[in-house]
Amino acid sequence: MNSEKNKEVLNSVEKAVQEHNADELNKSIDQAGKQEIPTTEIRQALFQGLEHLRKKLFTPEMPLPKFLLSLDVLHQGLKRLSSAEESEKSRAIPVVIGVVEGDPHDLGKNIISRIYAASGYQVYDLGTRVPVDAFINSVKEKQAKVLALSSMISTTMMQMPEIIKRVKAISPDTVIMVGGAPLDLNLAKSFGADGYAESAVMVLEETEAAMERVSAKEKW
Amino acid sequence: MSVSEIIDSLRKGRIPPLGLIPDNVLDFLARLTSWRGRRSELSTIERLLATMRHKEPDHVPCAPLVGGAYRQLTGASFREFSLDPNVAIEAGLLGLEVIGGDVLLLGLDLTVEASDFGQTTIYPENSTAHPDYANPLIKDYTDYRKLKRIELKSAPRMQKVVEMSRRALKEKGLSAVFVPVVSSPLSVLAMMRSAERVFKDCVLYPAEVMAAMETVTGVLIDYINALCDTGLVIIAPDMLFAAKSGLGKELWEKMEGPFGREIAEVIHRRNCLVAIHNCGDGPYFDSMVRFMEPEAISFACLPDDCKDRKELKKKYGDQTTFIGNVETPLLYRGSPQQVMEECKKVIDDLAEGGGFILAPGCEYPPNANLLNAIILVQAARIYG
Repeated sequence: MNSEKNKEVLNSVEKAVQEHNADELNKSIDQAGKQEIPTTEIRQALFQGLEHLRKKLFTPEMPLPKFLLSLDVLHQGLKRLSSAEESEKSRAIPVVIGVVEGDPHDLGKNIISRIYAASGYQVYDLGTRVPVDAFINSVKEKQAKVLALSSMISTTMMQMPEIIKRVKAISPDTVIMVGGAPLDLNLAKSFGADGYAESAVMVLEETEAAMERVSAKEKW
Repeated sequence: MSVSEIIDSLRKGRIPPLGLIPDNVLDFLARLTSWRGRRSELSTIERLLATMRHKEPDHVPCAPLVGGAYRQLTGASFREFSLDPNVAIEAGLLGLEVIGGDVLLLGLDLTVEASDFGQTTIYPENSTAHPDYANPLIKDYTDYRKLKRIELKSAPRMQKVVEMSRRALKEKGLSAVFVPVVSSPLSVLAMMRSAERVFKDCVLYPAEVMAAMETVTGVLIDYINALCDTGLVIIAPDMLFAAKSGLGKELWEKMEGPFGREIAEVIHRRNCLVAIHNCGDGPYFDSMVRFMEPEAISFACLPDDCKDRKELKKKYGDQTTFIGNVETPLLYRGSPQQVMEECKKVIDDLAEGGGFILAPGCEYPPNANLLNAIILVQAARIYG
């Protein structure tokens, strides 16, 4: 009986994310708390809601504006759960993410950052116009397993090879993902990145594949 | 407009307003030109006329879409290029001589319209200008309705582009077709609020966004009229958000489509041609054609309803002229040989029967080596 009720609440959490309904999500999280549903399960429901949308992103069913609104609602849900999740942080994979120096465009980075956060990564979002040294210091300080670099301008994109070279020198196992409009797969490879995601639709799969390659020391 | 008036206009170094020439006359001229093109080299104007009337010219025209990258020829910084129209037009005209091509883009950077509305803009020395997103003009959704209409005479950056057009036409009237890119109303708002917020506002506060788009469109129409007054024959509205990577199709048609129609109608009323630029992922060709009836569409990615270029040609080839779609990352990283091979593929897919201009999918990367721009022009000659 309890599991039935719990399932119902978790479904409503998932639905609230899909319908970008913040009020409904708050009510559902309150209810989940009353029913003592573990935080990990609520988080999983939030993630399920996003996963459902992510796979349909850029289709007529899930255009970008609606996806962005759902991400906002999901983010609010994660924030509410964050204090309960503090103890889990040590187990999450640390990701440092940011837009390279000189580039103010944060739309793509924000989407990827929130997808990582929703998928169980511990995200350290450095924002936009991040100097090279700030990336290096942050990777060191947070012991990042993943560094995600974004650039929407071809001029600023040229900092990526230097960042990648310097990060690899201090932390060879850190997986470096790159993305942004002026890039493609071949350019990402030529920069020395470990992975490239063309859009948010495949970013998790590409990150996992890159982590496997780096861990197995396979050539990309 | 009679044939003698057309010839008179050409003698004066001006392209006659194409909208004033009856279709049957244009078709006759295009057929004649195409026939002549099989025997001798055509001029830029003839080449473009033939292809845009869906006849094959001597070879496909090329629009290298070089903007800021031309500053490399004069040693100017990005900042100088953005702020001084003389620097920008001198670099452009030099580029036309050195690199060639049939079309020269006119513009300073993507912030022109938004900065005239009062958006603080940052002009780095070594990168393209961008809005100061930490200080957006539209801070929340209530600011949309507060956006004030501006007079063109008090819009210095748009005036600079108008000045560039005048100078380009005066100095190089018939040696190329000069095309200014005009931002779409939603793109202008995105510069004053950020794309992410504008996208969300389109769902949450559509009436407010529409009110601001109306204000912006009024100013854009004044701007377009001033550009047409200089004697330009093609205007390129940048409709970036009519794509899967922008708004959903339904939302675009509801929100920006009607303003796009208004803009296209003004351009057509001025007897000029509409060449939409859209470098978004999965552009909505069907919506853009329906709302704006463009004579040409410049694109980077395939439309949302086509699986390859051949399908694109079959579906839309008789409705508009394609401008594109060599990948810009390739121009950045590719060897001349790779670029040449890619150009050949694009030409093979799209050039048959005319209605095609070889070009990059988006502006030529501003810091890329210009050698691949020369390759684009050469590829059009060799394979086109």
